[in-house]
Amino acid sequence: MAGLELLSDQGYRLDGRKAPELRKVQARMSVFAQADGSAYLEQGNTKALAVVYGPHETRGSRSKSLHDRAVINCQYSMATFSTAERKRRPHGDRKSSEMSLHLKQTFEAAVLTQLYPRSQIDIYVKILQADGGNYSACVNAATLALVDAGIPMRDYVCACTAGFVEETPLADLCHVEESGGGTSLSLALLPRSGNIALLQMDARLHQDHLDTLIEAAMTACKGLSKVLDSVVRQHLKEVSVLTRD
Amino acid sequence: MGFILANLKFIPHVLLTQSVFHSLSPLACSHMCPGGANDHVVPIAGVKDYCFIVLHLRCIINMALIQTTFKTQRKTRHGVHYKRLRALLKDPRHDCVLFANEFQQNCYCPRDKGESQEKWHTRCVYNAAVWYFNHLAGLRPVVMLAEDCDTISEFNALNSGVYVISTQEYLASFWPDLQGAQELYNSIAQTLLERESEEMEKVYAEHLPAEVLEAGIKSGRYIQGILSVNKHRAQHEAFVRYEGSTNKNSELNSDVLLNGAKHRNRAVHGDMVVVELLPRNEWKGRTTALTEGQGEERTMEDTQSQPMATGRVVGILQRNWRDYVASFPPLEEVQSQSRNSQKILLIPWDYRIPKIRISTQQAVALQDCRVIVRLDSWESTSMYPNGHCVRVMGKSGELETEIQTILLENCIHVSAFSEAQLREMPVNTKENPWHMDSCEVSSRRDLRNTHLVFSIDPKGCEDVDDTLSVRTLPGGNRLELGVHIADVTHFVKEGSLTDLEARSRGTTYYLADRRYDMLPSVLSADLCSLLGGVDRYALSVLWELDANSLDACKVWYGRTLIRSSYQLHYELAQSLLNGEEAEVPELSQLKGSQRDQKLGELLQALETLTRVARHLRAQRDKGGALELEGVEVRAQLDEDKNITALVPRQPLEVHETVAECMIYANHWVARKIQESFPHQALLRHHPPPKQEYFNHLIESAKARGFSIDTRSNRALADSLEWAMDPQDPLVNRLLRMMATQAMSNALYFSTGACPEEQYYHYGLALDRYTHFTSPIRRYADVVVHRLLMAAIQLEKEGSLSMALAGNRELEELSQQINNKNRAAQHAQKQSTELFQCLYFKDKDPHTDERCVADAVIYAVRANGFLIFVPQYGLKGAVYLKDRDGQVVSISRDGKCEWNAGTLQRYPDKISTRTSTGTHTFYLFDHVTVRISVKPSGCHADTLCLELINSKPHRATQPESKPAGRGRSELVQEVVRWAEEASLHAEEKKGRKSKLSREERQFRQSKTPNLYVILQEISELALQDLSACQITNTEEQMCTSSS
Repeated sequence: MAGLELLSDQGYRLDGRKAPELRKVQARMSVFAQADGSAYLEQGNTKALAVVYGPHETRGSRSKSLHDRAVINCQYSMATFSTAERKRRPHGDRKSSEMSLHLKQTFEAAVLTQLYPRSQIDIYVKILQADGGNYSACVNAATLALVDAGIPMRDYVCACTAGFVEETPLADLCHVEESGGGTSLSLALLPRSGNIALLQMDARLHQDHLDTLIEAAMTACKGLSKVLDSVVRQHLKEVSVLTRD
Repeated sequence: MGFILANLKFIPHVLLTQSVFHSLSPLACSHMCPGGANDHVVPIAGVKDYCFIVLHLRCIINMALIQTTFKTQRKTRHGVHYKRLRALLKDPRHDCVLFANEFQQNCYCPRDKGESQEKWHTRCVYNAAVWYFNHLAGLRPVVMLAEDCDTISEFNALNSGVYVISTQEYLASFWPDLQGAQELYNSIAQTLLERESEEMEKVYAEHLPAEVLEAGIKSGRYIQGILSVNKHRAQHEAFVRYEGSTNKNSELNSDVLLNGAKHRNRAVHGDMVVVELLPRNEWKGRTTALTEGQGEERTMEDTQSQPMATGRVVGILQRNWRDYVASFPPLEEVQSQSRNSQKILLIPWDYRIPKIRISTQQAVALQDCRVIVRLDSWESTSMYPNGHCVRVMGKSGELETEIQTILLENCIHVSAFSEAQLREMPVNTKENPWHMDSCEVSSRRDLRNTHLVFSIDPKGCEDVDDTLSVRTLPGGNRLELGVHIADVTHFVKEGSLTDLEARSRGTTYYLADRRYDMLPSVLSADLCSLLGGVDRYALSVLWELDANSLDACKVWYGRTLIRSSYQLHYELAQSLLNGEEAEVPELSQLKGSQRDQKLGELLQALETLTRVARHLRAQRDKGGALELEGVEVRAQLDEDKNITALVPRQPLEVHETVAECMIYANHWVARKIQESFPHQALLRHHPPPKQEYFNHLIESAKARGFSIDTRSNRALADSLEWAMDPQDPLVNRLLRMMATQAMSNALYFSTGACPEEQYYHYGLALDRYTHFTSPIRRYADVVVHRLLMAAIQLEKEGSLSMALAGNRELEELSQQINNKNRAAQHAQKQSTELFQCLYFKDKDPHTDERCVADAVIYAVRANGFLIFVPQYGLKGAVYLKDRDGQVVSISRDGKCEWNAGTLQRYPDKISTRTSTGTHTFYLFDHVTVRISVKPSGCHADTLCLELINSKPHRATQPESKPAGRGRSELVQEVVRWAEEASLHAEEKKGRKSKLSREERQFRQSKTPNLYVILQEISELALQDLSACQITNTEEQMCTSSS
């Protein structure tokens, strides 16, 4: 059996996108009233929910708190119904704790933590439907939630994946493309400065191709930042209309 | 022309007007098509998928395929049609486009509730067709092809511009001239109709579903591989060659045997199959007895070798069916077959292919014809596969039919160059001569006045792609050696129609009596050809060599301008080197001292060149380069294409000199492009052979007391050099042939696809090698030229102006060229065999002396042995036991008779025991055989060898020199035999010597000229008198006995 043809001779991907095209991104902010900040984001069929609490006093043992900056606490989880096979996903499994760690590192690079010494910021993200690019959807949703919570950041954090098929970099992989066995690179970018907050890739890739792949992922991130920016502005417009009345 | 309609998604307001359309499809205008050429056909999927076969005809162009159709094809029937459709799209000559309708906003339609998939697909395609019609602003009608009547009646009336018609109607109304297409269609339709109606019991086991196969392969339970059928026992034996390294049980390192049709389970030669191993007690060995062509039903339990892994086919991953040439069975069989149905079993030309069942009413009319057949299906209920007839080729036995058969069986498709391709070519006629571009002249290095450039080629060669130059640089410490190759890439731009055509041809095909060029003749024989006395563009490699040590100090690569001063041929160059009087045509105008001076210059250049080449050869020998031996015979033809003689190739030292310079150039270019593009350079490697393939060689050599060391190429070369029998030079030649047979072919590859250790060229003993020196007749060289130019540009400017082909693309290309090369080799070999048969066909084997020849035994089998006939370069089998169990007995004077008796086989000998006595044949014995043609209506004719005497036919010349007989002498001897044979033939014809074009091309005149006489005298001088006497008496004996 021939494998799936991820990129057709005509340059189309399985879902009809061209190689550098992103999936449709839709987002809403302030979806929950109780939390300090929250956001819901759809990236194609991947759906993520992010909730932010804080900054507040450190809970639990005092020893965790840092005297010069805030602690960022991230928790990643997947809904049991998020994948094709229903699975119980206890919080402590390896994959989600790794993901939590990655998210933590990403946001420590972006949030101005030194403004809140001895305090804590909690970010909870949940994947409601997984269709590839879970990490990037989480980062993008969490960024919106942090903006919603009014926590100062250096820039938006935008994340996107990129893969490499037939000598062509593909932006924003869907689940089929990710599981096809090829390379998948996740990148979180601070778009205005061009600084990379996180870069992760597990599969083998020839060194020569790495630059083009990163380049493709960065372009995709910059595209995403525009979308996020417009979502924030739209949200502000709506909120300001409401408060004026 | 890379126009894809779906691109319009992003420029939705652009409408294609008439003019745009014409510019997009230039082929459509040039092609002499009937009026239908301007329509776009929109084929529809699903209903009956065979309509694509018709659309695959070369003349049907300008078609839009719909993605929905395309996708469904992918899922069905192992993707056979999908593969074909993809090829159709990729082939620029068809001018087809794929419209991705499912990704297009206006064409997409969601599936309705309860709608069948077929209906939904039809609706999708129709929507696309309507959109397409509107998109063309109604300027031209769109035709959608459908197969079932409901669809046609449902949709046809809906829209005025979109016609929904059946394939049959389409062919009839738009292509009325295409008789072939309509016949083809009818034949397919009939086959399909019958297939539906028949129900029978199962003959074969069902194939397992794909998931089970995949899981089985992964777990190691099943083995995946390519099926290859034993040509000599096509009905019984087939092998599956391993693919990949998924082999978990390491004990299985050889092929898997499939015994009988049941276990082969409908797999055809070349298919990718999955096999399951049988339990060990059912394992069988391979048959070692010789059988004639089609295996007769015989049980030969006693002649089997060691049991080997045996299995059965459980599934087929990929059918690799191609078109087959087949012929009708004899008339009486047809009549008995056709009583119950209209089906006829055709016999394919290729022994390895099973009989094919087709339906036709023309069986009687096409009795003696060869036809092209395509396989359709092979149900488990059917003994034989079903097929349909595509085209009639012609009467079997006619030269043209046979040649076409050979081409088709090797998947070689050559047609005349199209007008559009020829229009790309520069013009060079008398009225309008071709001039060099002044811009090109200034950008190239001009060697016209500084270098003495000359070419050495076979006589009458038209496509001169390599020239040489050598000179001493000022100062005298350095030599400059130059190899100048025709600059084909200047004329053939990447992606042009000519380039695409050359790429799909891959190489020039040389058959025994003709050739099919890769490039149009205006290039291959004129503008690219480095003819004498005219200015030509070239791509040169210039080395500065140290005058004493001859090591390369500096290399320069680049584009140049040259004017070849002398267009020599091999024989002329050799006789110049030998110091003989020879007429150089270029100097015939000059007189006196001027001429002597010029001749002196040329002679000095040739001598220096020979010295350099000897040095290079010696260096490679040190590395372990092998001297291999193949059988090469050339059929000499007269004007009416009748064969006058079969002549083995005649090597001269100057052949090697030229070859050595070319190898050197290839090597250095390979180094250059590999260094510049480590991941995407096209190189050529020769993988080291597997040790077990050498077993036959080692065993055979042992029979004569030689030991062959095959651990490395160096050791092999040395031990082959030692394995020299002073009594019989043929032993060494045969051993070298066996060594050659043990090796695999050299292959092109992309450097990115292979680890660096595998770049090595085993035969030439070079770490990197490529093909650079014959761009006129090999496409690989064209690619290498482009790479070299890119490397030079990269070095000069630091960047590339054009993107290079990636590793993957290059690897695909090199696979394609490898396949084409293999096909070309097979075709050449088969055409030589065809001419060998033709040569013997009109001779009576019992009276004609030329049908009796000397032969050497080179392998022993259970019921006979294999022999080599040096005079004609033939190899074949001789049987010592016939069907009735009688064996050959040898009377005292060596004559053979058939008698009751037994055969006993040993590793290196075979003996026959009859009432009259016992005779043993040893390996490398000389025997006399009679050659006759065994005609075969359905397959190619074969030569039949029959033992008539156990003694040598003509006593081989005893050597006066006891040892150290070099290769060149051996060669001379073979040459002399050939000369004698042809002289003999000439005399027989009553000295009606007329020189054919071929003879003028390749050989000197047939009348004994000075060269031949001198050579004969020198040969005679080497023989001592007593030996001559023995020869004479033995010859008398031979003649008296026969």
